[in-house]
Amino acid sequence: MISAIGNNVSEAYVNLSNAKTGIGKVNYLNTRYKDEFVLGEVKLSNEQLMDLISYHSPALNRTSLLGIAAANEAVKHSGIDLKDGLRTGLISSTTVGGMCKTELFYGEMVNEGKHLEVLDSHDAGESTEEIADHLGIKDFVTTISTACSSAANAIMLGSRMIKHGMLDRVIVGGVDSLSKFTFNGFNTLMILDKEWCKPFDENRKGLNLGEAGAYLVIESETSLKKRNGKALAKVVGYANSNDAYHQTASSPDGIGATTAIQQALKMSGLAPSQIDYINMHGTGTPNNDQSESKATINVFGNNVPKFSSTKAYTGHTLAAAAGVEAVISVLSLQHNKIFPNLNFTTPINEFGLVPVTKVTDQNLNHVLSNSFGFGGNCSSLIFRIVNEG
Amino acid sequence: MKVKGYITGSGCISPQNTTEKDYFFENVNGPEVDFFKAIEPSYKEHINSNLLRRMGRAIKMGVSAARIAMTEAGIENVDAIISGTGLGCFEDTEKFLLAIINNDETLLTPTSFIQSTHNTVGSQVALIMKCHGYNYTYAHRGFSFDTCVMDALMNLEEGKNNILIGGIEEHTPNYVEIFRKGKKLNDNNSNKYFEGKTSGIQLGEGTTFFVLSNEKKNAVAAIDGVAFLYKPQSAKEVADKANSFLKTHNISLENIDLVLFGFSGDKEFDKYLLEMLPSTSKNSATAQFKHLSGEYYTANAFAIWTANKIIENQKIPDVIRINSVSKSNINLILIVNGFQGINYSFTLITKC
Repeated sequence: MISAIGNNVSEAYVNLSNAKTGIGKVNYLNTRYKDEFVLGEVKLSNEQLMDLISYHSPALNRTSLLGIAAANEAVKHSGIDLKDGLRTGLISSTTVGGMCKTELFYGEMVNEGKHLEVLDSHDAGESTEEIADHLGIKDFVTTISTACSSAANAIMLGSRMIKHGMLDRVIVGGVDSLSKFTFNGFNTLMILDKEWCKPFDENRKGLNLGEAGAYLVIESETSLKKRNGKALAKVVGYANSNDAYHQTASSPDGIGATTAIQQALKMSGLAPSQIDYINMHGTGTPNNDQSESKATINVFGNNVPKFSSTKAYTGHTLAAAAGVEAVISVLSLQHNKIFPNLNFTTPINEFGLVPVTKVTDQNLNHVLSNSFGFGGNCSSLIFRIVNEG
Repeated sequence: MKVKGYITGSGCISPQNTTEKDYFFENVNGPEVDFFKAIEPSYKEHINSNLLRRMGRAIKMGVSAARIAMTEAGIENVDAIISGTGLGCFEDTEKFLLAIINNDETLLTPTSFIQSTHNTVGSQVALIMKCHGYNYTYAHRGFSFDTCVMDALMNLEEGKNNILIGGIEEHTPNYVEIFRKGKKLNDNNSNKYFEGKTSGIQLGEGTTFFVLSNEKKNAVAAIDGVAFLYKPQSAKEVADKANSFLKTHNISLENIDLVLFGFSGDKEFDKYLLEMLPSTSKNSATAQFKHLSGEYYTANAFAIWTANKIIENQKIPDVIRINSVSKSNINLILIVNGFQGINYSFTLITKC
């Protein structure tokens, strides 16, 4: 994983454990608003990212660079050998794709017929294929683009393909780099906070955008046994539902979110009381946090598990968000540690829900992770710790 | 996959008159110079006029094609909506992008940004029919629609009953111009066969939706399976994949009645498929479709629509034929699609 809180998972763990945000002053995105807003930027230039992945190619855009860096780490960490003949897939996700580069040249492309080749790397499939080619994955590649729930859906499809016996293992996750396109889009929707976002706070003003690449390796039990590998966690529940309420807003009664959480629970066979911690979508927008709080109460009633949103560390990384939060959920399970919801002071009047606000050591067996997006796309995932031995 | 996806409804908006009732290539259109623009239906028949005013072109095409497919299937709702698109709603994307560039990030309104995301069509379709079910959008080049087919079959196997799938692509004049200036377009300027002699693709666009069901109902054909091949290095690899795919369905290539090829018009991109053609043409009827749809990320949806119509009519239209092998019954159709020499897919359609 590469994000505002570090260029790899170990760095992210240190920052999460120290309740240290990665969101700050804008250094890389060349927007006219850069002195007015804060963003969760990865702290490396494109040139430095190329150094990190030891691959220098001017054709690579920032989305591909972040994707390659994160997927490389995931594969290395898993210990799988991509050349052992087992069927390996890559399911990535992105919303912005090559827009980070297209937006720099589109005017000249249209008006002067220059930089025409940039269009070849514009589409969402570009970063996925760059990652696949870098790793040498051929058996299956695809890309999901369901706004801010994208990577959750990649994790879900990967799990299903393993279950159906279509692949032995699959690299799943998402990547989005910051672009003027998305920044201005969210800005015109007036859902950006100029200061640090305050998820689940009564006085929350909006979200901070971020960028990240985050991937996990999912293996079948057969594949794990064959190489004598050990899993960190198991995906025991997943569900995808549509809110069908509004193109960009979530319903006040949280129908889509409620359904996604309930169905994921049903699949896992767990009672709501067995969820030890929820990593919320918690963007910090008035609308999302209201709707998600409502859905949480719909499902858990008066016994809402400990919860936090980690968006105030990384910013909202859009398609990558559910990948980032899946990695954080697994870190929580591995270290029995809940990372706090930063910048919270006052509970939302309507609900009175209070997130975890201090680094908390607690035995964790099951973590629920929510991701919701534009277009009403709601996805929930449940991870279970895999104890060694 | 053990299940089949019975095609119980379809709606196709393409450069041909495919929205006309019972259209079966009786007359065919050619491209406007080097671009094959989709013929848009009268949207008012399919979309509430209040909604229509705000919708971008891709959304209008998508919602209409979905509506046509649902009407044909005779159902009001589905268990899942799965869309595929290479570029998403490009008209709105471009509108917002050019506004950023031309006004230096000022004077922006959110409408085109809201409609620019890849999943807009899938969510609008869900919104209109209040479908809270599974909703996915795939955006992976030439695999965008094929992944929808795969996912729909997985969903049927998991116990769902009716799945709406669609391939959506729109192109803007600027986009076409960038292709033109990049010398990537076939200037054949006709709807003739591609014979592997020209360079540049015949760019097109279109939107096709299907209802795939776990029961036969009114269906004449079903999708039995789909397979993918990423960046093959030889024609043999493509042929081997076709054979191994068919083997999983206990069929061999010789049994296939019709092989429908996705030649793009560019001899370099098409070279592996062109190499497969002579041996395939010995036993099977062969045909192609992109000289009538144009090449685009989700053109395979047009091929499936065509295959379904061929099975329904039990006839291969002369305008798509490559060889003259005749078959008294058309039961098995294999679609072999290629996209820019990168993404290849194989789809098996059977009579039911």
